[in-house]
Amino acid sequence: MRRYVQAETFPRFMALQRADALDLAYVGYGLLVVALVFASYLIGAFGWLPHDPRAMNVTLLNAAPFTPGHPLGTDFLGRDLQSRLILGIQAYFLPGLLAITISIVGGSVLGVLAGYRGGPLETLVTYFANLVDSFPRLVLILLVIAAFKPDIYYVMVVVGITGMPVIANLVAGKIAFLRQKSFIEAAHALGLPAHTVILKHILWLNCRAALVIQATLGMAEAILIETSLSYLGFGVQEPTPSWGNMVQAGANYFLQGNFWPSTAPALAILATILGFQLLGDGLNNILEGKRGR
Amino acid sequence: MLLSIENLRTYFYSRSRRAFVRSVDGASLSVGRGETLGVVGESGSGKTVAALSAAGLVSGTPGVIGGRIEFNSRNLLDGLERYVQVEERDGRVMAVEKDESGWRRQVKRLMAGVRGKEIAMIFQNPRAALNPYSTVGAQLVEAIRLHTNIRNKQEAKEKALHWLERVRIDSPRLRFDNFPSGMSGGMCQRAMIAMALSAEPSLLIADEPTTGLDATIQARIVELLGELKAETGITTMLISHDISVIRRLSDRVAVMYAGTVVESGPASQVLQPKAGHPYTAALLASVPDAETIRTKSPLQAIEGEVPDTIDRPRGCRFYGRCNRVSDAVRSRCANLEPPLAEVAPGHKLRCWLHAA
Repeated sequence: MRRYVQAETFPRFMALQRADALDLAYVGYGLLVVALVFASYLIGAFGWLPHDPRAMNVTLLNAAPFTPGHPLGTDFLGRDLQSRLILGIQAYFLPGLLAITISIVGGSVLGVLAGYRGGPLETLVTYFANLVDSFPRLVLILLVIAAFKPDIYYVMVVVGITGMPVIANLVAGKIAFLRQKSFIEAAHALGLPAHTVILKHILWLNCRAALVIQATLGMAEAILIETSLSYLGFGVQEPTPSWGNMVQAGANYFLQGNFWPSTAPALAILATILGFQLLGDGLNNILEGKRGR
Repeated sequence: MLLSIENLRTYFYSRSRRAFVRSVDGASLSVGRGETLGVVGESGSGKTVAALSAAGLVSGTPGVIGGRIEFNSRNLLDGLERYVQVEERDGRVMAVEKDESGWRRQVKRLMAGVRGKEIAMIFQNPRAALNPYSTVGAQLVEAIRLHTNIRNKQEAKEKALHWLERVRIDSPRLRFDNFPSGMSGGMCQRAMIAMALSAEPSLLIADEPTTGLDATIQARIVELLGELKAETGITTMLISHDISVIRRLSDRVAVMYAGTVVESGPASQVLQPKAGHPYTAALLASVPDAETIRTKSPLQAIEGEVPDTIDRPRGCRFYGRCNRVSDAVRSRCANLEPPLAEVAPGHKLRCWLHAA
């Protein structure tokens, strides 16, 4: 038997109540990953690590997991893998946030200019988007590294700027769509100043879901780029740990049977990026109603 | 007079036809304090564009290019001539040069504190006029905090609930947290009316407020507008193509045809089928009233259609469709635009049959 109850007030989070279980699972896993990453970032930032990540122990090289004192084992210099994994988050957390902030803020500004003002500005934004699209991202990043220095913040500024066109297109498209809606005209008729209409009624109320989704996907992208670069040796340099250079360092011992020191950070990368991606996908399905029903 | 529009011209440029669409072309009308002016006419007669011009909301280009809009003894088109240059050849506009950004800045200056606060608007299709991603209550609170000196959120909410109650929305507390998608069209229109009136404007422009609603809901909204009018005495400019709505609510009526006002005057005089402008008579004959229903006489459609707003005929705009034209005036009708002549105190007509 089913019970039907009249709500006292109407549900504010209707989208959540109608969501698929699968999407909720995606989002749940994604949020768990975000929470873990954030907590680990704080632990690393305050230095509450179980071991000194730089302390070597020559008697315990490439130890297996569950070794007493080292629950995740040690690497080729006998350094504690767990502490290094936690500290590795420092390598991408703030830089990644910087990248998505740049792309969201810059992309929104460009999108608003293109969508609301139109005209030559729109053409200019389109050209910028084409220019960025026509250039391989990794090559551009390597160029910047070559021109300046292998600093992760330089890299993330490039990642942020190259991420702007996607956001700009998204916002401009939304605005072009919304401008024909009479509620925007009605908002003008109500006497709301143009910046309130753009910032509140268009960006905040109508684009925030899309922007949050883009932010999570952007974070996944930033992590991937950071780890790739560190793996190639252009990112974070030893002895500072990063998941990318940990995989790289461990790979030398992989074929000797000590596969764990490179597999552990690889799994961490996998789980984290999957988490951000699934969070973005799940939110997209729930908030934007993308799953056909 | 609270609002008087004189010789307003609002044109749009059609790139594909390289010509001006003369949406409003020399329209004059006025609304007195406390009265309801009904503006009636077919689709495309320029009613809505005239209202949008008065509110400074025309978004097409070049938009308003001439005329005078006086509101509360302030000229809302002040300084227009500085930004617009019109080239005319034998009475027709051939070229317009407009400094769009300068004009927009000027409108912004002139409309500050007027749009939304002094002139409020409600639209047709109310559900589309509310932001779908925000609750009705939040939007109402936003309007109240923008236009009244209530800044406190709780106070604004109380005020919003008060207004929801005044527009006869059942259980306003429940509706406050509703999104527009969760409410019926009629309810959304009530919320829009509440939003418009919450600023306590001196003029309410109701642009086809009943269009797009069910017939029964239309009647309710008309009833509500009548009641609110009686309660607050607000000056209203009511735009509709539905003569019965106009008849119910208006004190005075202006009939628009092809971008100009062809007849204006007290509702009782304009809306009687016997006299008046041939177009008004034809409009009245095309809708059922008690008499036609009783005698079961067929309704008369107006032959033809609204003349092309781009290539307008020289003479009277209604000449091609007029069924009263007599041989005595035919040549004048075909070649000369009739002036707006006063036939009775306050009752003006644009027709050679009535011109002295």
